[in-house]
Amino acid sequence: MSGGRLRSRSSLSLSLLAPLILVALTMAVGANGTPSLRGTVTMILCNLIIVLGLQVFIGNSGVYSFGQLGFASAGAYVAALLTLPAAFAALQTPALPHWIASAQLTPLLSTLVAAAACGLLAAVVGLPLMRTSTLAIPISTFAFLIVVYNVLANWDAISGGSSGLVSIPRTTSIGAAGLWAGAAVVVALAYKWSTHGYRLQATREDEVAARSLGIGVTGERLIAFALSGMLCGIGGALAAHQSGVLNPTTFYFGATVTTVTMMVLGGARSVLGAVLGAIAVASVNELLRGFEGGGHIFGVLSIGRTPGLTAIGVGLILLATMIAMPDGLSGGREAGELGWVRRLRTMRPSPGSAANGAVAMKKIERSGEGALRAEGISVAFGGLRVLRGVDLTLQPGEALGLIGPNGAGKTTLVNVLSGFLAPDAGTVSLDGADVSGRSPARLARAGLSRTFQAALPFPHLNGLESVAVGAMGVGVGRREAVTVAARVLDRLGMHEQAAVPAGSLPPASQRLLGVARALATGPRYLLLDEPAAGLSEVEGGELIAILRAVLDDFGCGILLIEHEMSVVMSLCPRVQVIDDGVTLRVGSPAEIQADPAVVEAYLGSSYLAAASA
Amino acid sequence: MLELREVKVAYGGVEVVHGVDLGLAQGEVVGMIGPNGAGKSSVLRAVCGLARPSSGEVLFEGRVLNGMAPERIARLGLALVPEGRHVFKTLTVAENLRMGMRRNDKSTAVLERTLERFPVLRARAGEHADRLSGGEQQQLAIARALLGQPRLLILDEPSLGLAPKTIDLIYELLEGLREEGTTMLLVEQNAARTIDFCDRCLVLGAGRVRVQGRREELEGDSNLLRTYLGGQP
Amino acid sequence: MTELVQNLIDALALGSLYALIALGVTVIYSVMDMMNFAHGEFIMLSAYALYVLAGLPFAAAVGGALVTGVLIAIVAERVAFRPVRKADMSAQLVTSLAVATILQNVVMAAVDARPKSVATPTFISESTQLGAISVPNLEFLTLALTAVVLVGLGWLLYRTRAGLAMRAAAENFEMARLLGVRADRVIALSFAVSGALAATVGVLLVMQTGQVSPTMGLTPVLVGFVAVTIGGFGKMFGAVLGGLVLGAISSLLGAYLPEGLLPFRDAFVFSLPVAILIFRPHGLLGAATGEARV
Repeated sequence: MSGGRLRSRSSLSLSLLAPLILVALTMAVGANGTPSLRGTVTMILCNLIIVLGLQVFIGNSGVYSFGQLGFASAGAYVAALLTLPAAFAALQTPALPHWIASAQLTPLLSTLVAAAACGLLAAVVGLPLMRTSTLAIPISTFAFLIVVYNVLANWDAISGGSSGLVSIPRTTSIGAAGLWAGAAVVVALAYKWSTHGYRLQATREDEVAARSLGIGVTGERLIAFALSGMLCGIGGALAAHQSGVLNPTTFYFGATVTTVTMMVLGGARSVLGAVLGAIAVASVNELLRGFEGGGHIFGVLSIGRTPGLTAIGVGLILLATMIAMPDGLSGGREAGELGWVRRLRTMRPSPGSAANGAVAMKKIERSGEGALRAEGISVAFGGLRVLRGVDLTLQPGEALGLIGPNGAGKTTLVNVLSGFLAPDAGTVSLDGADVSGRSPARLARAGLSRTFQAALPFPHLNGLESVAVGAMGVGVGRREAVTVAARVLDRLGMHEQAAVPAGSLPPASQRLLGVARALATGPRYLLLDEPAAGLSEVEGGELIAILRAVLDDFGCGILLIEHEMSVVMSLCPRVQVIDDGVTLRVGSPAEIQADPAVVEAYLGSSYLAAASA
Repeated sequence: MLELREVKVAYGGVEVVHGVDLGLAQGEVVGMIGPNGAGKSSVLRAVCGLARPSSGEVLFEGRVLNGMAPERIARLGLALVPEGRHVFKTLTVAENLRMGMRRNDKSTAVLERTLERFPVLRARAGEHADRLSGGEQQQLAIARALLGQPRLLILDEPSLGLAPKTIDLIYELLEGLREEGTTMLLVEQNAARTIDFCDRCLVLGAGRVRVQGRREELEGDSNLLRTYLGGQP
Repeated sequence: MTELVQNLIDALALGSLYALIALGVTVIYSVMDMMNFAHGEFIMLSAYALYVLAGLPFAAAVGGALVTGVLIAIVAERVAFRPVRKADMSAQLVTSLAVATILQNVVMAAVDARPKSVATPTFISESTQLGAISVPNLEFLTLALTAVVLVGLGWLLYRTRAGLAMRAAAENFEMARLLGVRADRVIALSFAVSGALAATVGVLLVMQTGQVSPTMGLTPVLVGFVAVTIGGFGKMFGAVLGGLVLGAISSLLGAYLPEGLLPFRDAFVFSLPVAILIFRPHGLLGAATGEARV
């Protein structure tokens, strides 16, 4: 990997070419077949564009939208109305404004207009919808689908009502469909690998961690939603111009289930998956459609007329996939990321990248005077007072350990400092500025980052991507982010882990990756929440060495909550002990260990008495 | 009664308990202490069926508990009072207690005896559990566990978040239970009380048993201090 | 004035129907954290039971519908939802979508894609005079049934050991198991209750429209979802409130929308909740479980 690249040239080419080749093959099969086959394949390619639209939003955000077919519908109608010959328009849609009815755009132009219209519609619809909670989005988008249906079915004068439109010029050739599908593949991949795509994927992997890295969840979802709407609109427009007929049920519930199944079967997280799934389900569809009139299966079983057999088949595929193979055929990976492909080549950062990283790092690191200061922090949950007037000061470049018995309030204090919890009383200031109540994302951009106790760094992104997302979160462009990430990983000695999906790394590496990711945001203050938990003594020792290097290299202040005393005592020249919501003592490790109050807090007065006897 | 043989527990690939042996006879009161992150709660979760040991065996009266559903284990006679108490806040005190009783247990004898031991619960029987103080909730959690007439009572950090006087009250209750012969396994981070109270204690550190013994043996033991605070005292 | 009262009664009746749907969805959600897309098909299949049992006296057919609803719910849980119990919310939602599709199309293949008419007792289509107001008997029945259901549900949840176990499991599943509550049984029970609620709605819908069709469950399940969303997830009371609000909006729009906009009533009804969600993202009553992770 050279500086600025997240994946090797070969991996990138493979990931890009594989789905494109599949599209080309599909085209070839159709182009050489009977007219009916050609028509079927053209439709498959149009559906593929819609599935890619679904993948762009659902696959990258992890949130399901059931309304995307509403955009397909909208795009189809917009394009159809623009290409319908004036005479037919007068018959079917009498109330259509004259300038639309008489317009007869070329197929290309009508598709482009449909794309723009749907993108705009999706942006407008998405604006309120993306602000709702993660569970409300599937429901509200489902409502959108039904609203679109309702409007189209009842606005007879404009849309032709429930009987829809006929005599749409059948201008979509298999070549055109193939080209658009190829373009959609490129767009989907380009988005997925862009800064915005990575930020959105981070919200899918771990929404809380993503927020703590400075990522705006609603905004990223909106961008993907708009792009997705656009792609679906294109697919719908092309499909309508292949079949020549259109009505509100064309892109409704059944099509929603079919396209979602295509995406899920292929593997929602990857573009390759979308293509695989679309082709696979469409093939099964065609097979089953042949049986809908009744027939013999394998010459043995005979069934009668079964309308809806196709849909049952699709439903069964979806059910089986969810139960047995939730990651789909591709496992959520692009072609260049498949296991056996990876084993053929290993990737290492090139020598130049570390130096470039040093330059990039300076740009993020903030200059500033002062310290992280918390004064008089009090927090109560219900009637229980967890923190009672705690002060804490952290200087850049120093390591402060935070210890105390379980339930003493340490994690609560860190939550207050990092913006996840608002204190009932007290203030937090960052380099002199009052930041009490600021969100974690804003604090990340202001120079304060943290790790989490149970942290699993984004399991489906590889090491380099996971860390680069940290930098992207605070607004760094992708190339720079990669250089920063390379430097951080280099400094932490994690070359091997850069190319491997983070979810398959051993726990110690995952823990370190979480630290690396927080470091990539260029913080002045880094809060580490029990990074050594569960690590063996050897791994704990390695962690200490790395954290020391971090202190020297990156110059940030580290607040370390730990229970592994060996880690705290050997790294932190200053330790603060909290018990029962108040600070017991702040001092050097030796002072702490000798302090009777501290010993008592942990072990009790009778122990103390016996020990000093 | 309860036996753990080389039990290891792992969460998502991370092994947090590296082989713990434990033996508990009927009528004994055994404590498990150690700093947080030492694996105490993980051991309890493995015993109660909330986590499956990655290796080793958990035996209760000769039966292997590995992999058994938590509700089955509970019906065998193990009752857990979990860390943080987890009383049902949307239910009343009376309903919480009812949840503790066995399904077909219609007799009021056990309930009466329990309410006598925990008079504050009788007084506030109709109130929703979230209106109780921390100490009262702890009493409710213990009473709820006792109503199932368990053969083994396991308590995970009963003194967590409670004021010293309330802790005294709780331990008085536990003393009463001990006198009646209830077998108990007590997990605490506060070493002092536990060493004082239990017949014997195991000290866990970083997923292993570091020290164990009776009160006289443990007090003043420098190993103990080192397990908690690291370095030399 | 009388027209207003009439409209209000209509609104109440529709709201009650929607509340029943929302309750059916919430019962499962509160215990399992899953929104069940197939609830609409539970409704549809119960309705088809009326069609299939058309020869029997109506009361018997209704009983058959009830049994159908409960059975199909329990079977669906056992076969389709249990394997994905540990999966995340989105996965379970999509699984329920698959179940919905399968059920819908099986009926389409087994019976017909076209609607079939079902004979209902004549008194249902008649109205009763209350002073100056004429109230359709069906609305009386809806209100009465809703009241019965609410009382019955309340009795189940607050007066029986099984219902207590359900409420406890809804709040803290793990703790309930530690107290001996059998996970499988609680979940099966919640599905059974949901199925019974679906059957009630199915019967009412048949009485309202006089027909059954394979796609009749689509709008109701959306209604249920939207009602639960605006009422606040996971709370029974929120479901009822959401249903009443949605029903009232729908009914009043039906009464007062100008003629030309009437066909678009559904579009209005389902767009308005979005407005509610913008100002109160967790619904009118808020979510039952907190979302803070750390």
